[in-house]
Parts: sequence; C-alpha cells; structure tokens
Amino acid sequence: MSILTLNNISKSFGETEIIRGIDLAIEDGEKHAIIGPNGAGKSTLFHLISGLHNVTGGSIVFKNQEIQNRPPFEISRLGLARSFQVTNIFHRMSVFENVRCALLWSKGFRYSFWHLLGRQSELNDAAMHVLEEIGLSDQAQYPAGELAYAAQRALELGIAIASGADLIMLDEPVAGMSISEAENAVELIRKVTSGKTLIMVEHDMNIVFDIADRISVLVYGKIIATDVPEKIRANPQVQEAYLGEVASSA
Amino acid sequence: MEILKTIAKKSPIWIAYLAALLGLPLIFDSILAISIFNQMAIGIVFALSYNMLLGQGGMLSFGHAVYFGLGGFLAVHTLILIEFETVYFSIIFIPVIGGVIGLLAAIFIGSFSTRKAGTVFAMISLGIGELIAASSLIFSDFFGGEAGISGDRTYGPTFFGVDFAQNDQIYYVAAIWVFIATLFMYLFTQTPAGRMANAVRDNPERAEFIGYSSRRIRFISFCASGLFAGIAGGLFALNYEFITEENLNAATSGRVLLMAYIGGLGYFIGPIIGAVVLTLMNSLLSNYTELWMLYLGIMFLLTVIYLPRGFAGFIMMHQVAWINNRLRSLAIPYLLIGLPSLVLLAGIIAMVEMSDHEGEAFHYLGFELDPESFITWAIVAGFSLAAYAGVRAALPQLKEAWESANAVPDSKDSKS
Repeated sequence: MSILTLNNISKSFGETEIIRGIDLAIEDGEKHAIIGPNGAGKSTLFHLISGLHNVTGGSIVFKNQEIQNRPPFEISRLGLARSFQVTNIFHRMSVFENVRCALLWSKGFRYSFWHLLGRQSELNDAAMHVLEEIGLSDQAQYPAGELAYAAQRALELGIAIASGADLIMLDEPVAGMSISEAENAVELIRKVTSGKTLIMVEHDMNIVFDIADRISVLVYGKIIATDVPEKIRANPQVQEAYLGEVASSA
Repeated sequence: MEILKTIAKKSPIWIAYLAALLGLPLIFDSILAISIFNQMAIGIVFALSYNMLLGQGGMLSFGHAVYFGLGGFLAVHTLILIEFETVYFSIIFIPVIGGVIGLLAAIFIGSFSTRKAGTVFAMISLGIGELIAASSLIFSDFFGGEAGISGDRTYGPTFFGVDFAQNDQIYYVAAIWVFIATLFMYLFTQTPAGRMANAVRDNPERAEFIGYSSRRIRFISFCASGLFAGIAGGLFALNYEFITEENLNAATSGRVLLMAYIGGLGYFIGPIIGAVVLTLMNSLLSNYTELWMLYLGIMFLLTVIYLPRGFAGFIMMHQVAWINNRLRSLAIPYLLIGLPSLVLLAGIIAMVEMSDHEGEAFHYLGFELDPESFITWAIVAGFSLAAYAGVRAALPQLKEAWESANAVPDSKDSKS
C-alpha cells in the first residue's frame, strides 16, 4: 500500500517550469531516495509535498487525503515531517525547548495557554528521550544557535522526528559534514527512521545506495527512473544523465 | 493547582516582588514618591505587555498605546457611569474594564495585522495608531477632544471603608493589580502558546512544519498583549482620573518601546527595570533640567549601541563571573573606571547646561557655573579631559579582570 502518491504534479515559477509532471508512489515503510543533478528540482519537489509551495497542477495524496496546496501546519498534523537543507532551527531557544516545541502538537497541547509546561512530565520525558536519541542530552540547556554544525544538523533531524510522524522527509541531511560526522549521521538516520517511511534527497551516492530501498532519479523536473539501487546503477539512461556527471566531475 | 506549584518553585522571588510593591510607600511616603510609584506601576504592566509582542513574539509595534488608551478611555467612562450610579461596583475592578476593552480591540485589529510579522506588521501598527489617534480628536463626544475626559474615583461602594480619595490608597490597588498582571504574564511564557510565540519569533517558517500556524500564534500573543495593555490603561485612569488623546498616540507608543528596550527585551524582568528607570528619569530629572528629554534620547542611543540587550542584559552578562565565583574581582576595576566616568559625565552635562543657560549663572552640584566666564569653561573642560584620560587608563585593567573572571574552566563540551 502506498502512503504517498504524486499524480502528474507540476510547478512553474513564472514562465519557468521546474517540475514537469511527476508521478510517484511511495510505499508504506520504504526508504526512498531522490537523486539528480543540481537544479533538477529535488528541493522544489520537497517544498511541494510539505506545503511550502503550491503546485501548479496535479494532486498529492497522503494517507488517502489530498494535501496539495494545503498549508504546512495542516500537512504536518497528518503525520508528515521534514528537515531542511539549510539548518532551520529555533536558534535563540534552548536545545531542549526546540525539541519540546516540536512535540507539542502531537501531544495534543494545540494552542493552549492554560497548561504549564514545567508540569507536563510526560511531555518533558519525551523531549529528553528524543535528545538522548539524537545524542544532545548534554547540551539540552544551550541556546540552539550556539551548537556546532553537526550538532545543529542532529537537532534539525530531532525536530523533524520528534512528533512521531509516519513519513519523514530529509533534505540533504549530511551535506557539509566531515566523513566521520556523516557516518554518525547515517547511523542516527537509520535508528530514528526505523519502522517509518523515509524520503531523502542526498548527493552522497554511498549513503544513498546504503540506505535506500528504492531510488528515483530526477532530471530537469521529470523522474526518468524509479527502481531498486542495483537496477538504477545499471540503468544506461541514468548513467548518462546523472552518474556520468558525477564520474566526470570526480 | 498547577499554578500554585509553579509559583511555589520560584516563590522567594515572587514574595520579594510583592513585598517590594507593597512596602515601598512605607519607606518613601512623600506625595512625590507615591505619585512616582503610581506611574511605575502603570509603566511596569504596560512595558511587560509590550514585551509580549516584541521580546517574546518578535512583533515590532509602533502603536501599542492604542490598547492602553482605549482601555483607559473606557475605564474613565466607567468611572463616570459609577458616579452617576448607572452601574454600581467598586472602582478597584476598573482595570478589568480596561483589560476587556484592550482585548476586544486586539482581537479586532489583530485579526488582520498579525497575518505577517516584520515590516508589514510594524507598518500596520503605525497606521492603526495614527488612525485611532486622529479619530479620537474627531469623535469628541466619546474622547473629549483635546481636553480629554475626566472622572472621579471616589464614587461607588467603598472598599472596607476606603474611598480612594488619596493617592497612596489607589497605589495599593495598583500594586495588587501589578502583581496579578506580572504573575499571569510570566505564567503565559510557560504555556504551549507562550513557548510557541518564542519559536515563531525565531523561525516562523519552521514553526509551520511542527504543526503550528505562525499567524495564529502571533494572534494569541497579540490578544494577550492587548489585554494587559488595557489593564495598564485602566490603572492610568484610576490614578489620574482623566485621559486624553495623548495617551493613545504615537508618543506614548514610542515611550513604551523605549521602556521595554532600555530594560532589556530578551528577559522577562527587563521591562520592569525599564519602567522603573524611565519613570524615575521622567519624574526626577524633569525637576532639575529642561533638557531631560535630550538626556533620555542620548541614554537610549547609548543603550542601543553598547547594551543591545538592555539593563537586564548587562546584569545577566555577569552570570558566568557569578558561577565562577569571581564577581568580587571585578569590584575594584569597576570602581576605578566608574569614578572617572561619573566625573566625565558630570563635566559633559555641565557644558551642555552652560550652553543652554543663555549667559545666566546657575548652581550645579554645589558649584556656581557662569556660562559667560572663560575660566569656568576651561575648568570644566579640564576636569572632563582629565576624567576621560582616567577612563582610558582604567579600561585595560577592567578588560583583563573581565576576561579572567569570565574564563570558562576546561569543560568537556566546548561551546563554539
């Protein structure tokens, strides 16, 4: 059964068509990677699914509900969480507060101004649990903006997974990390997304082939192939469009 | 129950706060002092309500006096209704009227102004502020034109025999309201909506991806802020028994921004400090010099440039030294730089005042200054220059002491 289905979606900015008719079905529980050259529209595709941008045409179905053109907070409440390519955290708040805020809606607090957070031991325990999972419990009280880059990326991931969403979308989660940091990050991603559906944009092919059950190749706004990693690696069209470029630039 | 437990955790601070509010008039009981305390009480609630917008919610408003003023006008109208026995209740509940009106105005205006933060919000707040101020001069039946409207707080049922004819009686009413308002504004920061206000301030985009509408969160903060601004307006009405257009125009909006900013936006206590300092400057300085507005402006500039986190931020800067138990090592360097700084300040003020006195001699700190005498100018300038040299000479020592007091002992996790 598919948890997310894209039906012929397209997106134009003015005259420029960035996404040119994409059909894709993400199976429940699969780890799906989206790869493609720079400017192929990978981040735009993420923005369309998560509600940051409106689609120009087509429909997006998540858990049997059409979600295209709905505001991000409504899509988030259905259980779709995402991280960002550029670190996007609440920089003046403490690390703990960052994660606790990410938990509030799913724990049912909504817009309450009559609950005192200090008294919500279940919520606070859950936030500490997330911090332990992402390895930031020692830095819980630091302002998030003062963390080192890799720690901020871990927090970015923590905010995304805190709500317990069923579908997690990660936009280049290890970009800018050193090799050892990236290895830790991959372990972390594996751990926190186990049993969940994952869609990931990533440039590092080792990581993609390591994590993904299936891979979609996006070139100039169109998906040219969706398949298991071995078949993608062997696909001549893909090699020409994308992997060849990597080989030549390496 | 939850509320009681949370207060209990920080109860020494709250008890000290209540004791200070109630005890001050026992120590300083002159008419001037009571009048200043009343102004402080109004300023504290008003500045704290402003901080809910700017400090906690990231909304820069140039029209916050609207909610203060509308609350105040309705409060004075209610005083008049009590006087003519149309309604019958004790005037100690007048701030509730102000609060309800502030809240209603905020619900109406916030419904469209909180759609966006940043420049759009700031411009709308400015526009609404001008609109309401201009309207208040046009609709003179309700607002009383330039003269404003006035009431009398001594009517209605007495409160255990107290008729509130005296300013010190009304101060205690104000003090209790200040305590209640401060407590609830603090508790608001501890709720989901209060915390999400911080999150939306920091990053409205990301807030939407954890399930919250940024606009709705801004709207809630805005309404709460309007409610407490209205309560402050009600306190104003009780204290002065009149209100005019001046209390809802841009000048009042600017003053509350100054209070919150000088006190320190990032800290809950900041606006309280700001309200106290500005009220003192306002009331005391204006007795001594016509130029007090100039000094106020200079102080604001210096605060923005050198203490961007306000007075509260300056105090909090010493947290690391306090943890390191090295605060005492800063005392002598502070003294060494503080004394010449005071002399320098006195010298500069003397020269400014001499320029302003059009040749008339005047008394200043026990000296007689004659602006027409070259020798006076030379002596004042000489003292100032010497003091400036003293400040410069003391600076390296303070810097060194500061760095050693704030040195972070080898910790396991370095914060880069």
